[in-house]
Amino acid sequence: MFDYLVRRLLVMVPTLVAISIITFIIIQLPPGDYLSTLIAEMESQGENVDLAKIAALRAQYGLDLPMWQQYAVWAGGLLRGDFGYSFEYQLPVSDVVGDRVLLTVVLNFGTILFIYLVSFPIGIYSATHQYSVGDYGLTLVGFIGLATPNFLLALVLLYFANVWFGTSIGGLMDPSYIDQPWTWGKILSVLEHLWVPVVVIGTSGTAAMIRRLRANLLDELQKQYVVTARAKGLPPLRALLKYPLRMALNPFIADIGNMLPQVVSGSAVVAMVLSLPTTGPMLIGALQSQDMYLAGSFLMFLAVLTVVGMLLSDLALAWLDPRIRLGGGTAR
Amino acid sequence: MTRAPLVALFTALLWLSAAVPAAAAGYVEPPALAGEVAAGKLPPIAGRLPQRPAVADFSPDGREPGQYGGTLSMIMGRDKDTRQMVVYGYARLVGYEPNTFELKPDLAEAVEVEDDRVFTFTLREGHRWSDGAPFTTEDFRYFWEDVANNPELSPTGPPSELMLDGEAPKVEILSPTRVRYSWSRPNPEFLPALAGARPLYLYRPSHYLKQVHDKYADHAELEKRVKFGHQRNWAALHNKLDNMYKFDNPALPTLQPWMAVTEPPADRFVYRRNPYYHRVDPEGRQLPYIDEVVFQVAAPGLIPAKTGAGESALQARYLSFDDYTFLRQSETRSGYETYLWRTAYGSHLALYPNMNAEDPAWRGLMRDVRFRHALSLAINRHEINEVIYYGLALDGNDTVLPRSPLYRDGLRDRWAAYDPAAANALLDEIGLTARDDRGVRLLPDGRPAEIVVETAGESTEHTDVLELIHDGWMAVGIKLYTRPTQRTVFRNRVFAGKTLMSIWSGIENGLATADTSPQAFAPTDQNQYMWPKWGQHYQTGGKAGEAPDLPAARELMALYRGWRVADSRAERTRIWQEMLTIWAEQTYTIGLIAGVLQPVVVDLELHNVPVQGIYAWEPGAHFGIYRPDTFFFGPARPRTPESVLTAAVRSRR
Repeated sequence: MFDYLVRRLLVMVPTLVAISIITFIIIQLPPGDYLSTLIAEMESQGENVDLAKIAALRAQYGLDLPMWQQYAVWAGGLLRGDFGYSFEYQLPVSDVVGDRVLLTVVLNFGTILFIYLVSFPIGIYSATHQYSVGDYGLTLVGFIGLATPNFLLALVLLYFANVWFGTSIGGLMDPSYIDQPWTWGKILSVLEHLWVPVVVIGTSGTAAMIRRLRANLLDELQKQYVVTARAKGLPPLRALLKYPLRMALNPFIADIGNMLPQVVSGSAVVAMVLSLPTTGPMLIGALQSQDMYLAGSFLMFLAVLTVVGMLLSDLALAWLDPRIRLGGGTAR
Repeated sequence: MTRAPLVALFTALLWLSAAVPAAAAGYVEPPALAGEVAAGKLPPIAGRLPQRPAVADFSPDGREPGQYGGTLSMIMGRDKDTRQMVVYGYARLVGYEPNTFELKPDLAEAVEVEDDRVFTFTLREGHRWSDGAPFTTEDFRYFWEDVANNPELSPTGPPSELMLDGEAPKVEILSPTRVRYSWSRPNPEFLPALAGARPLYLYRPSHYLKQVHDKYADHAELEKRVKFGHQRNWAALHNKLDNMYKFDNPALPTLQPWMAVTEPPADRFVYRRNPYYHRVDPEGRQLPYIDEVVFQVAAPGLIPAKTGAGESALQARYLSFDDYTFLRQSETRSGYETYLWRTAYGSHLALYPNMNAEDPAWRGLMRDVRFRHALSLAINRHEINEVIYYGLALDGNDTVLPRSPLYRDGLRDRWAAYDPAAANALLDEIGLTARDDRGVRLLPDGRPAEIVVETAGESTEHTDVLELIHDGWMAVGIKLYTRPTQRTVFRNRVFAGKTLMSIWSGIENGLATADTSPQAFAPTDQNQYMWPKWGQHYQTGGKAGEAPDLPAARELMALYRGWRVADSRAERTRIWQEMLTIWAEQTYTIGLIAGVLQPVVVDLELHNVPVQGIYAWEPGAHFGIYRPDTFFFGPARPRTPESVLTAAVRSRR
């Protein structure tokens, strides 16, 4: 087990280096750089931009260096824990990201909880009552959730939340609470706004989770040991929960690896539509304006989280499921 | 002596404001500041106002004297929009009057102009920055000597608006309140630059910035601050703190009516009243009436919906004419009104045939005035107006609007009527007579006449309009393809001559007067998409790009240079007229429709916002010239009658 851990950790190093290079190249691929975005924007507002001044700025930001040198500066900074400097905000990247992380975590924790709470009972019901009216009905609901475009659902819910409950449109709290210290009223306001994005992001995830749980559980339910347990007179609920359900839980654990990066990227599209103060819209903004260090550090952070998340979920699976833990050691 | 009326006006104002101090005892303390004054944190009102404050004139458009208090909430799309506060605040050395578009002194008490060459500014005695430090000519000296002419802070030298064909102004500090800028030749663009939405700043809060200036600051201390701020050197730190226009540094003292409180990045920006603001209302109450302005940052796509939900008390930015019906529908629910303001673009959308196109065959055609005329004649502008703008816009060329004093009959309709027969005849005359089996004409080298019109890909409005143009052109044997790209790509392709034709908004200032620079009508800027390389040639002083080689374009250039040195208004008017005539005859840009209206949402409790106005960046600074410092919150107004609300629609200009 220790060897396995060390090997996994060592493999992560070249993976991350490769990711950082690819990330950097992809960010630089679109023509132009941050300054050309800046010029376009200023001119669209009718402002005159002095060409000589732009050249001076380009030199000041180091954008006139060859790409490998820019990469070296950035990667060297990362090793020292310095994420670089955001052109757009004129602040170090770590200061820019700061406050948004907490709300992102709250939102995504809420979403994961929503997915688990909804899909768990429905999945079990669907599997144990396969092909019943309830199964079909719930499956239909799940598929509608999966098929409705998130942004559309988001706009519809926002509109009705505003018209019926008077909830302010977009954001995660009433505008009067933004940048205020945390109070009970502010927490309530966040809860009042939180359900829209949670439901919107959750619906598609829920459908997928229901299907996976149902399929896994169905596989288990037909196995010999379940039949034996039933034949021996084990109460139905216990015969369901004690063994087959435990086996079917793997997707919940395996998903941790995917969920960690989602926690940071924060379901970007929905966050954009709903104007949520999470990290997603910021990442998209940084990519659009080619604010390369901000975007690059975000993507690197996501990459690290994915790699770590995968490791954690593999370890958790191995710990939870003896078949996986022992599968490697036993020669078949 | 030039611009006699302007100078006379300034002198008159000098006299007028000199008469005011008699009423000085009557200045009223805004209640929001009374607490701080009582606690001794702020001097009382008489000590904060200049000796002769600027008195807002409420008579021309019948504004009511207001009451203090309230929070003006607005919604912005990005952190960067914090700069809109400088635009809306509109405290300038000289500023435009809303109805006449004449320049009047504002921060300056008086401006004397001699021959458009020598400009002497008199500041207000006792005028203070928002932190209470005096605003004097030292701030002008600091900017000129220590910022504009410091090679580290300004590697490219003073701002280009100050350099008259490379000649720097002579800056003389005459006294703590008088400063003079002079050139050897007239510089008629100087005062308009000071009044711009993004103004040319001649001054800096020197007492604040000297703390980070190499010449004044303690070096060890400065070193520490540079390190702490993660900056490369002191110049970078200075430039970061010194953003009078970006308005993103709450510590930077300002002269605007509201000062920034929130440090970016944030989702909500708060601006509090500037206790030292220099304007009072006719009853001697210090402006602004509104204590606090709040910008909430939201995704641009959500802003119309949020406005409809009543979350903004005053909103025009990020609203467009498409939102009008939705906004009207939500009026009762959310307690606001929707005004329609005119826009000032010479053309809301225009086609730019690229006369610097790479492809020689196409370049030749684009430079042929008959070809441009034919394309223009083959567009059914009336149809575009009816289909996309409910018939509420004004069709015609990309030129000055009927409300401009320079407007003449014919300028907007020359070569702009829908006449496919004449277009066909012109194309035949050029020699594009062969056609393929689709009916598309063939170029002399046998290629079909297919024009790819590129858009910046930001709005479906452009593609919808192009779809309609496509049908008109097809009837005369020209095939149009639309190609949406991304803004940076779009611009770079135009600059490089890879784009045959592009669609973009037309002339910025359709309300030009003889004193407005006719720069946009001559090849002076790379962003004039019909001749990017000629514009670049002018901008870089001939180092890049190509010199204009069409006689008419060269004539426009010569006229523009003539305008800059003209020494009378009559002469300037004559030059303008000549340029407009050439412009109309040559159809360098193919204007489509103008006068698309801008919805402006105004809370029923917000007073003094004009029902009819011009929504323009230059001149106008959007809300700026209407002076938001005189807007106030009071009891809910009765709703404006429908006929007044939609008057702009019916006049169709």
